[in-house]
Amino acid sequence: MEQTCQPVQKKWFDRVPPVLWVLSIIIIWFAVASRGSFFTIPNFLNIAVQGSVLLILSLGATCVILTEGIDLSLGSILTLGGVIAVLAMYRGVPAIPAMLAGVASGFLCGAITGLLIARGRLPPFIATLGMSGLAAGAAVVMTNASSIYADPPAFVFFGSGRLFGVVPMPIVVAALTFGVVYVILYHTPFGHYIFSLGGNEAGAALSGVNTVLWKFMTYLMAGGLGGVAGVLMASRLHAAEPTIGLRWEFDAIAATIIGGTSFEKGRGGIRGTVLGVLLLAVMRNGLNVIGIRPVYQAVILGAVLIIAIIFDVLMKKRQEGL
Amino acid sequence: MSIAPLVRLTNITMTFPGVRALQNVSFDLLPGEVHVLLGENGAGKSTLMKVLAGAYQPDSGEIEIKGHKVRLANPQHAQQLGVSTIYQEFNLVPYLSVAQNIYLGRYPKRQAPLGFLVDHKTMREDSRKVLNSLNMDVDPASIVATLGVAQQQMVEVAKALSIDAQVLIMDEPTATLTDREIEKLFAMINRLRERGMGIIYISHRLNEVHQVGDRVTVLRDGQLVDTRDVKDLTVDQMVHMMVGRDISNMFPRTYQCPGEEALRVRNLSSARSGLKGIDLVLHTGEIVGLAGLVGSGRTELVRAIFGADPIDCGEIFLFGNRVTGLSPTQLVDKGMGLLPEDRKATGLALKLPVSENVVMASLQKLFPNSVVDLNKERTVVDKYVKDLRIATPSQKRLVQFLSGGTQQKVVMAKWLATESRVLIFDEPTRGIDVGAKAEIHDFMDRLVAQGAAVLMVSSDLPEVLGMSDRVYVMHEGAVVGEFARDDAKAERVIACAMGRAEATTQDQVQDDQSGREA
Repeated sequence: MEQTCQPVQKKWFDRVPPVLWVLSIIIIWFAVASRGSFFTIPNFLNIAVQGSVLLILSLGATCVILTEGIDLSLGSILTLGGVIAVLAMYRGVPAIPAMLAGVASGFLCGAITGLLIARGRLPPFIATLGMSGLAAGAAVVMTNASSIYADPPAFVFFGSGRLFGVVPMPIVVAALTFGVVYVILYHTPFGHYIFSLGGNEAGAALSGVNTVLWKFMTYLMAGGLGGVAGVLMASRLHAAEPTIGLRWEFDAIAATIIGGTSFEKGRGGIRGTVLGVLLLAVMRNGLNVIGIRPVYQAVILGAVLIIAIIFDVLMKKRQEGL
Repeated sequence: MSIAPLVRLTNITMTFPGVRALQNVSFDLLPGEVHVLLGENGAGKSTLMKVLAGAYQPDSGEIEIKGHKVRLANPQHAQQLGVSTIYQEFNLVPYLSVAQNIYLGRYPKRQAPLGFLVDHKTMREDSRKVLNSLNMDVDPASIVATLGVAQQQMVEVAKALSIDAQVLIMDEPTATLTDREIEKLFAMINRLRERGMGIIYISHRLNEVHQVGDRVTVLRDGQLVDTRDVKDLTVDQMVHMMVGRDISNMFPRTYQCPGEEALRVRNLSSARSGLKGIDLVLHTGEIVGLAGLVGSGRTELVRAIFGADPIDCGEIFLFGNRVTGLSPTQLVDKGMGLLPEDRKATGLALKLPVSENVVMASLQKLFPNSVVDLNKERTVVDKYVKDLRIATPSQKRLVQFLSGGTQQKVVMAKWLATESRVLIFDEPTRGIDVGAKAEIHDFMDRLVAQGAAVLMVSSDLPEVLGMSDRVYVMHEGAVVGEFARDDAKAERVIACAMGRAEATTQDQVQDDQSGREA
């Protein structure tokens, strides 16, 4: 039975996600090049904290890309979420409702793009590009283009505290979010419909799937995740900056693609995205630790992204025996 | 007949703009029977089945399912009433598992507090039960993208069964299967029949009809020819029912002796395109038809000749010069032109005006200095607009606003402007109204009279027979017959295209065929 489906006997190294190879090589190289200051537990925690905001944002990007869509508004939604939360606290709203308001603004943005795309049949590229301008602009207007600060204890704890005095809160938040999205994606009908929207939208509709509803829900969820990421980001900085999320959507898309999710046919998943986010976070941290100047960092980062994706494509071809 | 039919379609009529696709067609399906639907390309088989599947709403006529009169609003509705269709392109999600596909759209949920979660275990076990009941060796946990075509088809059948379908429509299920897989499929169809399911089986392969069918309904030009028991009919009778019409003499041809050899294809094969040892020759002053069913490899052959797809072996000669392996650009330089099947996608730039489309392929030839002389362009385009009677208010009209027939003339003008002497026309008159069609035919005739050579692919049998000096017939990627104009009778050509060896005129081809027939 099985052998008819899988004629090629896979070797153990074929089961490892390709991006893990790149990641391992990079970690080893940094460990050597930094003479020990990279390969320490505090630094690893640091990397995880730095990656946690991007992970939350990338989870949304991955779900959207699995439906053969794209969301270019995630970075602006992140900015807006932080701005709304901080602004509310600044005006005297208690920390928890203010933070929830920030998250809600993300859901609202997601609902608008979702409606435009699923109901209005606008191309995702255009709808989310428009939303990107809208949300970014709104953030600048609300803050008068300057940073605003807030530091209620609950807010500060959310971004900089440690759970039981050990695990940094951003890691806890990211892990919880990952768990929720994981359950949604792999254990609820909604998650299966996300795959079917990308894999065969017409076929799913013929099987009685309400494709309009679930496409809307996907963008709604991505927007909500953007809101969470924005609030987390602001609580790490104890501040909202009107341009903090600039270009973050591209990092989220890059992390998704590096993680092996394809723009076509609903192929991939969020496990790979975690590795993609780690790769980006490790690169940024490592280049800093070994003291590369920021201008060169951008060049190296770009090159590594391209190499990682080429490697992923080659390995996939090999694994499929093509 | 004492058994109540599962499905009864009465006097279904359906028109598309300009075409009457179905005219008063009636059809019924009994439980436990396999009802074969036969007809040429465009006879209305698919349209009729789409009416039953809820994808089209007929203009008039009645649909009865299990004794109840219904109006089918959409495909889901038909499915709820127990009508499942397996299309040639499957409705599967590639990166979900077999079980997840079978239950797509109606996943079983876990118990109360976890009611929002999918019950993977139940789903896998139920899928396994359905698959086992059909003797299918497919693991419910395997990802659909890793399965072969035959297994994906089985998943589709399992999906239909699991939603308790009593009527199964199969559109050319054997088109992409190997012989062994076909045997398995037939065994499965028999099991479904024993369960009392009704199966509508659309196929172009006549030799399968006696193997699987109980009754057969033949459609022709959107009309019902007859419904008969399969055992009362021979294959030849079926062919006659499918074709049986007069090919009227509406095709103007002036005859002349073929001139020099313009194109020769020798032993061309390509595994990728499914072409097997093609030989053909084309002379100047000749229109040669390439007949065959949809999917028989005609378009693939034409693309291979034109250098658009790679070939494995074989040779192509243009006016005696070897041109094997040249790119389309080089072939155009040497005087070959292709009018592609899908003129909107590959033949025209829809957003550009008539003039730019006409000169597109001959810019180098007309303007060797790489500077476009607009006066010269206007003169050249004007000539073709007049010659071909292109119905456009001005040269600057965007092509997308022209009718189908006029668009096709623009494509023709494009290739004439290159002064190509070997022209390949892929479905030149598909979707074109009668008037423009006649003009295009007339023009093709003038073209060869002036010494060009034309290879014409067409699914329109009267057109092939009426226009061609010679006809090649293709079946499953091979040329299986060659007919001179006088021998090319509709029955013989269609029998040949269906893979019936007796009809062929070439002994050597007959040998090839006899093996497959047995």
